[in-house]
Amino acid sequence: MKKSVFILFLITLVSCKKEKLELAQNIVVRDQFQNLYGNWVGDFEVSKSDSLAEEGHDFVYSNKLNLVIKKIENNKVYGQSIVAGNSRPLLGEFNEYNGEINITLNEPGDKKNDGQFIFKIIGENLEGKWYTNNKKNPVWEREYKLTKQPFKYDPKLMLPEEGEYVDWYSNRIDSTKEVEDGEVRNYYETYRSASDVITKLNASTTLLKESDLKNLKKLELEIIRNTIFARHGYTFKKKSFRQFFDPIDWYIPVTDNVSNKLTLLEQKNIILLNRFQKYAEDNYDSFGR
Amino acid sequence: MWQIFFAWFFILMLTITLKYIPFNSNTAFLQIKQTEVNRIQPYLFIFYIHVYTAIFSLLAGFTQFNNNLLKNKPFIHKTIGKLYVFTVLFLASPSGFFIGLFANGGFYSKVSFVTLSLLWFYFTLKGFLMIKFKQINRHKKFMLRSFALAFSAITLRLWKVILVYLFHPSPMDTYQIIAWLGWIPNILLVEYYIFKQESK
Repeated sequence: MKKSVFILFLITLVSCKKEKLELAQNIVVRDQFQNLYGNWVGDFEVSKSDSLAEEGHDFVYSNKLNLVIKKIENNKVYGQSIVAGNSRPLLGEFNEYNGEINITLNEPGDKKNDGQFIFKIIGENLEGKWYTNNKKNPVWEREYKLTKQPFKYDPKLMLPEEGEYVDWYSNRIDSTKEVEDGEVRNYYETYRSASDVITKLNASTTLLKESDLKNLKKLELEIIRNTIFARHGYTFKKKSFRQFFDPIDWYIPVTDNVSNKLTLLEQKNIILLNRFQKYAEDNYDSFGR
Repeated sequence: MWQIFFAWFFILMLTITLKYIPFNSNTAFLQIKQTEVNRIQPYLFIFYIHVYTAIFSLLAGFTQFNNNLLKNKPFIHKTIGKLYVFTVLFLASPSGFFIGLFANGGFYSKVSFVTLSLLWFYFTLKGFLMIKFKQINRHKKFMLRSFALAFSAITLRLWKVILVYLFHPSPMDTYQIIAWLGWIPNILLVEYYIFKQESK
């Protein structure tokens, strides 16, 4: 009896191994570039720009870039670039020379921010540059070093507690202007900052109540709502929103439209958050309640 | 001078009232009060009584503390006075009491608003009874106190603007403070004024 069980076990073991081997061969046959496909994510940093353009005003020095390689076929490469609220289809060429992989990808060219990506695959990294099509743009060239990062929606993801959430962009420029030695200087009011409530209140897993939101400022309401979108990989057009999510490890911009991906719970929370945000905008500092 | 100052704030209060016309269960302040609107059946009705009637009590600020008017046209003083007493005792103060029970900012602001409504009712009733008994001096004192509390509608909102401008506090932290700051200094000032007048 014991013996026969052992033999049976052996047989299954062997057949298992065989199956795995076949599967692996299948993959190799199916697509040799499989390991290149997916999201390549990292910082998209300015390397050449119009010296007259002002950072922060005309452009943002660093944005989070997701360069997606979708398919390589007959030396043709299909991809997508998702960065700073823009999701652009890419089409280009593949070259392999001395074991080095070079890829050129073009954005369609019908938008003023379109350009061309030229990069290499070096080990675990994708490294290269982006060149604008339009020299009138304040940014002429950006560089990047990307690593592969799979995207998966996880409602439990939160902004990390150790972060400091200060809005560096939407300060009140109308505060004070002073002329000093013929130079006009702006003295900004204190920057808006969010309390740690934004790292605790999860609008993707809990149905929010009015009482949860009553003591929140506009910035906090905004961040809690945008964290929902960030979990779905939404790419933010506003730099004042990107500043909070671009530095977060789990955040990967994958799409410029999440409206059909939101759960019912998230939709409900967004309605409530929007209502409170509107109230905060209309009433926070005005004569009233 | 007082008239111009008061007229300015009266207009501001009027614009706040006008936000609630036409009737809407989810506008202005009610945007963050939907829990009460949906769960407390009489809340919306009583809230609107307060919004639509309390504004009339402020009219007293234009006429009732004007000695010339009182001397030359006592009819106006009496009419506006009756309107004030009626509005406060039957509408604004009872409705204030009820919505005070559900005030934003938790226990401390609820205590404040409920106390405010009770004192307002009491001072107004006393002021009215005193004039019925021809006790002009005491009528005056109680009506001063009563109006100091009515005026908290304005001072509360004024304090809010000042606090937010200076410290950018969270909305409900502000609310807990202004709930008290809106009327305590008012009543203290009036008591001081009464005390000064008596010691003359």
